[in-house]
Amino acid sequence: MKTHYLSLLALVFSLVLFVSCDPEEPGGGPEPELITTLNYTLTSTTGEVVVLTFQDLDGDGGDAPVVSSGTLSANTTYVGTIELLNESIDPVEDITEEVEAEDEEHQFFFMSTVAGLTVDYADQDEDDNPVGLTSSLTTGDASTGTLTINLIHEPQKVADGVATGDISNAGGESDIEVTFSIVVQ
Amino acid sequence: MYNRSYYIALVIILGAFLQSSAQDCDLTIKGYVIDESSQAPLAYVNLYIQETQSGTTTDETGFFSLDKICMGHYHIIVSHIGCEDEKFHCDILSDTILNLTLSHTPISLGTIVVSSQKDDYNNQANLSVNRSVIEDNSHLNISGLLENETGVSLLKNGNGISKPVVHGLYGNRLVILNNGVAQSGQQWGNDHSPEIDPFALDKITIIKGANALEYGSGNLGAVILSEPKRIAKEPHLHGQINYAYETNGRGQTLNTRLGKYSEALAWRLTGSLKKYGDRQTPNYFLKNTGLEEANLSLQLEKTYNEKLFLDFYASTFNTRLGVLRGSHISNLTDLERALSQEEPFFTELDFSNGIDAPKQEVSHHLAKAKAKYFISEDRILEFVISGQVNDRKEFDIRRSGRSEIPALSLFQSTLSADLSYSFSTEKKWAIKLGNQTAFAKNTNNPETGIFPLIPNYTTVKSGLFGTATYSKNALTYNFGLRYDIEDQIVLGLTTSFPREVVRYDNLFSNFSALAALTAHLSDKQSLSWNVGYAMRNPAINELYSAGLHQGVSGIEEGDPNLTQEKALKNTLEYKWVPGSQFAFNVLGYYQYFEDYIYLNPQDEFRLTIRGAFPVFSYEQADADIIGLDVSTQYTISNSLLGLLKYSYLKGENRGQGEPLIFMPPNSLFGSLTYRGHNTRMLTESLNMEDTEIEVTNRYVFQQNNLLDEQDFLEAPEAYNLFGLKVSTNFILPKYKIRTYLKVDNLFNTQYRDYLNRQRYFADDVGRSLVIGLNLKF
Repeated sequence: MKTHYLSLLALVFSLVLFVSCDPEEPGGGPEPELITTLNYTLTSTTGEVVVLTFQDLDGDGGDAPVVSSGTLSANTTYVGTIELLNESIDPVEDITEEVEAEDEEHQFFFMSTVAGLTVDYADQDEDDNPVGLTSSLTTGDASTGTLTINLIHEPQKVADGVATGDISNAGGESDIEVTFSIVVQ
Repeated sequence: MYNRSYYIALVIILGAFLQSSAQDCDLTIKGYVIDESSQAPLAYVNLYIQETQSGTTTDETGFFSLDKICMGHYHIIVSHIGCEDEKFHCDILSDTILNLTLSHTPISLGTIVVSSQKDDYNNQANLSVNRSVIEDNSHLNISGLLENETGVSLLKNGNGISKPVVHGLYGNRLVILNNGVAQSGQQWGNDHSPEIDPFALDKITIIKGANALEYGSGNLGAVILSEPKRIAKEPHLHGQINYAYETNGRGQTLNTRLGKYSEALAWRLTGSLKKYGDRQTPNYFLKNTGLEEANLSLQLEKTYNEKLFLDFYASTFNTRLGVLRGSHISNLTDLERALSQEEPFFTELDFSNGIDAPKQEVSHHLAKAKAKYFISEDRILEFVISGQVNDRKEFDIRRSGRSEIPALSLFQSTLSADLSYSFSTEKKWAIKLGNQTAFAKNTNNPETGIFPLIPNYTTVKSGLFGTATYSKNALTYNFGLRYDIEDQIVLGLTTSFPREVVRYDNLFSNFSALAALTAHLSDKQSLSWNVGYAMRNPAINELYSAGLHQGVSGIEEGDPNLTQEKALKNTLEYKWVPGSQFAFNVLGYYQYFEDYIYLNPQDEFRLTIRGAFPVFSYEQADADIIGLDVSTQYTISNSLLGLLKYSYLKGENRGQGEPLIFMPPNSLFGSLTYRGHNTRMLTESLNMEDTEIEVTNRYVFQQNNLLDEQDFLEAPEAYNLFGLKVSTNFILPKYKIRTYLKVDNLFNTQYRDYLNRQRYFADDVGRSLVIGLNLKF
């Protein structure tokens, strides 16, 4: 009887060995949802162009992101456009299109600590709520501070203050939250 | 693997006292019912013959007599308050003397049965949940069934996702055995429930002492055994249908169990279906907190020549679990916004039973075959082979329709083989030797398009163990030794671009030992001391996690240089049962850890394009946990039963000089139960019996052993919940219908629980009414 069991045991062990002992090769495939780059291009009425860029090519971990800073002219109005890219894949994917296609489910919020600097929405989704892919930035007198751009996925656009750019009641989750140092002179 | 004889609550001694041929319909069945442990006669035991629809109750001396029985086959149901019903089949050919022994365990703490020494775990502090509790709580998951036990808490993410915490330990440090097989899967995740259908079980036992060595390495904490019992020797088809409706969540649960015994093959089939919608706090609905579940299990048993016992078990568990919509956040700013809200974001005025992202979809399948060969009366050889598949998919809110693609998709397959040999000697030694070998393969499904949190890996583990029990006079000794080796092969990806494959190959060996002593101070008192040493290998997630853990909104980083965790646990338990009216049990424990592995929140925040995220790193430090479990029971005039339980626990990170986080707060549980002993005849063929009214109260203290900087929020305040339950059995000629009505959180108390991650976002669930029906045939 014992040998019977031993042979059964041997069978099991050989079964264990038969199953490949090596793990599957990890995918490492494309990460199409990743946003690596945000470009906020500001064009003044006089044709001055300032581009604020946040770039993190390897996603959440790894190397630290590269963040530019911007110098703006005082008492000037700029037209701002946002571009989102996934530069981790080849060819580079334009995520801006994804946001445009789902503009009811997205909204940018602009928060500034720079005195006199305001950002207004210059676009709307199909429900006439703001999106923020296009905006209008107006500077005041010379000052310094930061400008934070936040993209919320599935915000509650009808909640109090959200349509005028107040993030507090928006809910949802941040797809983007980047902060730039700004000098207005 | 373990002796199941202790399941048999009834030892039937069929006195085949064949008397001279009696008249066909003038037979009597009579006898006594005694308590197994005290050998005292048991009064108020109901005996009922299904076929004749007649019954009787034992008198003060435990005596019963049934007259005018015709020759034939009968099913006799024995029921006694506080015990599970037992039904058995017998052929009555003549006047019969039936002496029954009810195993009324020494401390029958209402729902808990602190097991007697009859089981294998003498010297082990343990407690268990029995079948009647499982049936009356079929709307709960396996963790929920354990919530009111001393020393047990639940780590939750909302109401549907919960895992047991025993003496402060959970996840990788706790072994859950499903039908004798160590449950595999993604145990590391705090938001991963054990994938077991409790309705397929008859008993859930928690062994709280030092590790039960035969159940594998790594269990520094307790072992949870969940087991179906053997199929009753019942030649006819029997079964039950169970239905429960719960108002909170408008949930419905339907279970069924069917079984039939025959010499050729005994079988039992269990199925469960569950559907819940959004739960409700006292003030609002919790959006997207529903769940769906569908489970099936099949058990087959076959005995050859009383020598070889074969058992096959297969089960499938499938669930879809919603996660509170408002708890799905990204970075720290999102968390701050969520914390400042009175009600969670996305709260809606109306009930909904849809389950959308964020959600989990998990399937777990198990197949097991066991052969138990009785070489002789006291020598047993046992072999178990099992395979498991665990498929876990977690869905987040994603852009461009990607919410339909899981953000985490893990597939694990496990194959294991266990061999054991147990024997006992005339000198009162009982010895068990064995080997366990398991192979597991864990793969990230690349469909996610997201950098995986944990890498792909395979592990092979093999262990040898030996346990010995020796009894002499009033002393019982237990010893155990175990040696394991584990090989981990890991294939991960670099966190930087371009992604490259990194390979790790780790070989660990570890050693565990156990010694225990029980002294039976008298018939009424016993003292047990248990000491165990165990080592746990760092788990894959602790070594190699890298990236965002969406479920907890933090970046988790493993440390490939972690070493083994070592733990020494001492428990001391005192039991005092001065009589049938009073029982007292106190268990103190102290567990010391060397190189305790924990997730330490870092001072830095990780800046990403999605904002700043908190960073948690796996680190090691020495730590200890000290605790006390007390339970006491008082019976007044056999119909009123009071129960009081208290659990105290304190965990300290000695290395860092700060408290351990996620430790259960202290708690107090009390209940008062009224039991009606009389059978009330409603009509000729309808009786009502075993009516019970129960009031429960659970008080959970605030977790004060925590520094401000260890959490985003202060630990929630203490809370006090009341419950009420009324139940009764209706006895019909061929059926028994059990009905119950239960109210949880009776006063609709608003509260939050420290161990529930949802507490950052929302209140816990409010009042809920459960109505249940159970039909046995």
